[in-house]
Amino acid sequence: MNKNSAGFTNIKTIVSVAFVAVCVAVFDVAFSALKEPPLTFPIDGRASGTFPSEWIHGSKSAMDNTDPAVQVHAYNDHTFILRENKAINYEGVFMYLFFGNGVAMLIDQGSTSSPALFPLREVVDKIIREWEEQHQQSDIELIVANSHLHGDHYAAWNQFVDRPNTIMVGLTHEEMMAFWGIDNYPQEIVTYDLGGRELVVTGTPGHQGSELAIYDGWTDLLYTGDMFYRGRLYLEDWDAWVASIRKLRRIADRNPVVHLVNNHIEMTAEPGIDYPIGTTWQPNEPPMQMTLEMLDQAVEATYEVNSPGIYIYDDFLIYNQIPWYTTTDL
Amino acid sequence: MACLLLRVLNILIMKSAPGGTIGINDLPQFASKVIIGMRNQLTVSSNTVDNGITRRAVCRLMLWVPFALSLVPATASAHLLNMTEIHLDATQPDNVNLDIDIDLGQSLMTAEEYWSATSSNLTEQAEALRPIASEIKSGLQVKVNGIVVSIELDSWQLTASSLQAIKNPLSPQMAQLFFKLKSPIPADASVELLINDQLEVPWPALLRLDHAASLLPTSRLLTEKERSSRPIFLGEKAESIEGEGFSTNAVLAVQALAPGLTWIALGFQHIIPRGLDHIVFVLGLFFLSTGVRQLILQVSCFTLAHSLTLGLATFGIVSVPASIVEPLIAASIVCIALDNLHSEKIARWRLAMVTLFGLLHGLGFASVLSDLDLPPQDFLSSLLLFNLGVEVGQLTVLAIAFLAVGWMHRWAQYAERVARPATITIAGIGAYWFIKRVSVI
Repeated sequence: MNKNSAGFTNIKTIVSVAFVAVCVAVFDVAFSALKEPPLTFPIDGRASGTFPSEWIHGSKSAMDNTDPAVQVHAYNDHTFILRENKAINYEGVFMYLFFGNGVAMLIDQGSTSSPALFPLREVVDKIIREWEEQHQQSDIELIVANSHLHGDHYAAWNQFVDRPNTIMVGLTHEEMMAFWGIDNYPQEIVTYDLGGRELVVTGTPGHQGSELAIYDGWTDLLYTGDMFYRGRLYLEDWDAWVASIRKLRRIADRNPVVHLVNNHIEMTAEPGIDYPIGTTWQPNEPPMQMTLEMLDQAVEATYEVNSPGIYIYDDFLIYNQIPWYTTTDL
Repeated sequence: MACLLLRVLNILIMKSAPGGTIGINDLPQFASKVIIGMRNQLTVSSNTVDNGITRRAVCRLMLWVPFALSLVPATASAHLLNMTEIHLDATQPDNVNLDIDIDLGQSLMTAEEYWSATSSNLTEQAEALRPIASEIKSGLQVKVNGIVVSIELDSWQLTASSLQAIKNPLSPQMAQLFFKLKSPIPADASVELLINDQLEVPWPALLRLDHAASLLPTSRLLTEKERSSRPIFLGEKAESIEGEGFSTNAVLAVQALAPGLTWIALGFQHIIPRGLDHIVFVLGLFFLSTGVRQLILQVSCFTLAHSLTLGLATFGIVSVPASIVEPLIAASIVCIALDNLHSEKIARWRLAMVTLFGLLHGLGFASVLSDLDLPPQDFLSSLLLFNLGVEVGQLTVLAIAFLAVGWMHRWAQYAERVARPATITIAGIGAYWFIKRVSVI
């Protein structure tokens, strides 16, 4: 091959490579444009939100309670926090509704099955309808998921089974993990795309063997379910909880977590003192959201606790392998 | 009541001690009994009164008294604690088990009857459970393809810590009843479980159905108002699972076989289908190699190199940000492709280049591994197994490439008509990735 021929071949090669690169670029751009979502949830920066100054917290007489069965609080436009009325069930659990493009995810379904007493489906459908109107979307999908597998968090699950356009994740460990794509529970940390909203999900057993924690990169909320909240942390597996708490700390190290949110309030505003189990009235509740300093205290506890028992900290009580109904409330 | 309040104050003082902890052995002596006693309005005697009542304790008591008054409706609604769990295990179609976890002392038996049964011998237990089994057999129906299948009580496990615990709805004392189905459940059957109005169990009842058609179970929740699971179609379920998540099923199968092997599966997944840039690089190696030997030599160098950096990065010895590694990986694809276009055979320095790029790709895998949170106790073995999975993934890519076009390599036009266009495509893709990744920085 002479010099001219080799040069021509080189130019031809370069042009060919450039042509392929341009074709791939055009395809990539066109594909991205096609699936460009109307809403964006950037993880840089932080979507702010607010908590109520106080949550509805039951009443002296549960029978005479006139509060709504489900309190709905919009943390921001695409994040809703729901609470079951404590007069209906003393657990007063918090549930979460996250929105992405074309999809919403309901995490947990409360402690009461009866739609007459606890019309969760009706409330969720209303929120979704209003959200769709506000954001010019229609027929969005609903995913019904759970933080963990305890009955006080899925009692109203059945209200959604016949709902159109709904994915029921399921109430077994295997179904849950298959949905999130967690192949190696609890170590694996996966990223779930909720309509363009990036959720980082990982296993956090200790309270229950299928529990998950979720970090929402858009709001910087870290959802810790029942394994860490202001209350009695009932731990069936201490070693697992230790690993989970330390993992939450590592997640918080890597991400700019702003609040830790969860499922219950059982502590009073007075440090180290909880409300009695079963109370349907909790005046002067502390906020539900927790701070990273509280997480640090939990991490410290993992080094201090070394045997079964009840351990009292300012913002939570550790019930290490203690039957849950035993209590120090008095 | 006065005695009870004094006892309460006594406990308060104990709890108020700085850094106070209560050991498990202490609990039965005061806390649980006092509270349970108070809620159930049982008589609790108090023999000791502590004189050191603190202000905090008094305040706490003042806070507590209204709460105590609100407890009666709360305890009455605490049914979720003793909800019923039903497990229908049809993984062996000819030997189907139905296990029920139920708070018998709060439902089908009186607390006294259940307490008596727990402390009886097996023959007496069988006698006590006979009417219960009969009630369940007539009230709980398993329908297979629409036909009710009869069940038979096979064995049981009755446990309770005390009569008081059985009576207390806040401390469920669960019994396990193991039934056997008298008929098989075929792999493609429809199965429905329903509890009729004659049978009252602690609600809700969670049904778990395991069956041979799928590695994933199916769950349903039965409530007092919705007492049927509705038909569950095993064949359909299996098909939908297969379509939706073959990869997940494969991993679950591996996990069931040997939990440690999961790491191999994860490593494999990080090549196929998640590691597109690594796939393209390996194909780049493939299209220059004229023989299997040379190809294996290159892949081995690549493997050893990326295993090294993967290990070093995972142990924290080496750390390079993804913003640097990712464009360089793209650049390595372009380099390897351009070398293909200008070389007729594999030069010695090519091996050095492939090794260098292997080091780079190892750093890319390391960022993935950091998301896996390797268990500290099995760190090394997990790492090695993950790496093994990566290698299996790479070899699979090569095997597929060989089956697709490799067998034509003796064709005179192979280089011009197959290898060259493929290599130009690889170079183009790599160039685009490089520009895109650099522009993101």
